[in-house]
Amino acid sequence: MTVSQVAPTSPPDTLLEVEDVTKYFPVGSHALGRRSDEQVRAVDGVSLSLKGGETLGLVGESGCGKSTLARLISALYPLTSGHIRFKGTDIGTLSRRQMRPLRRSVQMVFQDPYGSLNPRRRVGSILSDPFTVHGLVAPSERKHEVQHLMERVGLSPEHFNRFPSEFSGGQRQRIGIARALALRPELIICDEPVSALDVSIQAQIINLLESLQDDFGLTYLFIAHDLSVVRHVSDRIAVMYLGKLVEVGPTEEIYTRSRHPYTASLLSAVPLPQSALRSQPKERVILTGDVPTPIRPPSGCRFHPRCPKAQAICATDEPVLEAKPQDSPTHVTACHFPVEPGELLARASRPGPEPVSGAGDRPAETGA
Amino acid sequence: MSETPPKRPVRDRLSEVVESLVDAGSEGQSKRVVEGRAPWRLAWARLRKDRVSMVSLGFIVFLILVAVLAPALTALIGHGPNTEFTNTGLSLSGIPVGPGHSGFILGTDDQGRDVLSRIIYGSRISLEVGVGSTAIALIIGVTIGLVAGFYGGLIDNVLARFMDVLLSFPVLLFALAIVARFGPSLGLVLVVVATFSWPYIGRLVRGQVISLREREFVEASRALGSSDLRIMFVEIVPNLVALAVIYATLLIPINIVLEATLSYLGLGVQPPTASWGNMIAEAQNGDLFTIAWWFLVFPCVALVLTTLAFNLLGDGLRDALDPRQGRSQLATTKKKAKRSPTPEAMEALP
Repeated sequence: MTVSQVAPTSPPDTLLEVEDVTKYFPVGSHALGRRSDEQVRAVDGVSLSLKGGETLGLVGESGCGKSTLARLISALYPLTSGHIRFKGTDIGTLSRRQMRPLRRSVQMVFQDPYGSLNPRRRVGSILSDPFTVHGLVAPSERKHEVQHLMERVGLSPEHFNRFPSEFSGGQRQRIGIARALALRPELIICDEPVSALDVSIQAQIINLLESLQDDFGLTYLFIAHDLSVVRHVSDRIAVMYLGKLVEVGPTEEIYTRSRHPYTASLLSAVPLPQSALRSQPKERVILTGDVPTPIRPPSGCRFHPRCPKAQAICATDEPVLEAKPQDSPTHVTACHFPVEPGELLARASRPGPEPVSGAGDRPAETGA
Repeated sequence: MSETPPKRPVRDRLSEVVESLVDAGSEGQSKRVVEGRAPWRLAWARLRKDRVSMVSLGFIVFLILVAVLAPALTALIGHGPNTEFTNTGLSLSGIPVGPGHSGFILGTDDQGRDVLSRIIYGSRISLEVGVGSTAIALIIGVTIGLVAGFYGGLIDNVLARFMDVLLSFPVLLFALAIVARFGPSLGLVLVVVATFSWPYIGRLVRGQVISLREREFVEASRALGSSDLRIMFVEIVPNLVALAVIYATLLIPINIVLEATLSYLGLGVQPPTASWGNMIAEAQNGDLFTIAWWFLVFPCVALVLTTLAFNLLGDGLRDALDPRQGRSQLATTKKKAKRSPTPEAMEALP
């Protein structure tokens, strides 16, 4: 990794920098050159950065581009445009061979513990993959190393000869975590690591992830749509809507004083067990309509067709991510009319959003 | 399956029986063995329960033994496959002797040759071509299908179209042309049969690979930095084995029939070398078979039984290796009720 590629702007402890990243997927058949011009704008101009040792929670509803962003950062997909720098190295410029040391530092835990483990391979063999691929541990030592790993994530080391189908969902996710951990990475991208698990198992996995973070000084990009889980694990939270970040800020600020109407409506959908936990009167913001298709996203602010506060400017001018007055400088919101503390959105939305250009206001056709 | 030791609580034995239904390897031991229940062992346990498959498998094993031991068997019978027993094998008026007469167990053909010995030697040809060409088809088909499915795009387009072209070829006409050019031989039959059967496997493998390459375990492997080759052979190929085994088993009888067809048309194995196809063809030359039915019927029976056995075994393998895709709704529910494999066992196979 050359020093010359270090971006001048990044603070010294920045581990990962995502700068104006876009990922478009072509739509439709491309058989024999009949390629349509339409593209799914899965990720459309996202910038964020991660400090070493922190956990950034990335939330948003299905299909908003969370998982695509995760795969862009772990270099599973090529970028359409933009830069992703890991410790100052632009990963987009690396060849496959140059990427290998980076692969060791950035690992991923997948959402589906059933799909992410090869059903035809024994767990011991799956877990020795990291060592085999990188030629790290002598073959005679691998079994020992694998068993050590299994122990660390709370699995019985004697089970290394079993097949994934012989484990429960939670155990499988532990295997997935062990695989990600094997190379002692610095950044682990957790792509909805607990959403496929039972609630009781979720807590175990979250606790495991937290204890590993303490032991190994890991940095997490934690993707989820379960807001209470995210609140529990994250230092900071980024909210995504239709391929763009709408709000980024420290966890407590986001939860107590969310500024973007979308964040506010997301949070209002979280069921709270006790009224004492609510910092403001409980209101439910029910959004109207569906998420527009990312093929033809709405003009201006992408949230405007569904936003209870939308006005004419929202359909024409795209708001930028910036710190709003009264917010800390790390809390940025992309909104022309941020929610004021104590403001009741549901009431504002009762007359219904004023008729703004409904470009692309149709049901989403494509999934994540 | 395994005898239950006496003096065990009933419940213990019950759970054991349930377990042994799923796992052939647990051998009645209640001790917790931390040994992976390999998908293959589960499949074998399921296959063993299927009587039709086991009978078919038994027949195929018998057939292989017969083919391998053909010289010894014919020596035992005392009749070479191509020897014309004009004195003992034909009646005075030149009619073949029937089954059981003068030591000819299945009778003789119009030239006084022992039908059984010829069927025994014919099995060699059938298995050689059936298994040999399928093996070649398997190697080519899996390789091409893997490359096409894995890389996609232009490579896939070219290879997939090529397979379609081969599948739409008139095989027999093509074989006629080839034979006219090179002359008939066993090797040529092998090549022709393999050439036109690999696309079946290739297409299946391609489809399977296209779905496998999107699975998260492939992404996980890529995130670890695995090379394409490693992903193909370590992650994808093990998931293709079941499919390949099933369809190879089903392709063998097709290829055996194709060989018989080519030989029947005189394009394959040439007389006097015995092949089931040319035995049937020779028997149909003239109308002697209306009196001496045996030298037409027995080669046909051999051909039918062989193809039937392979087909039934293939079906059984499909059920055993891929329990989620039953042959029919009814058959599946019946079998499920009978065997009740656990969800775990079902999951073990794609």
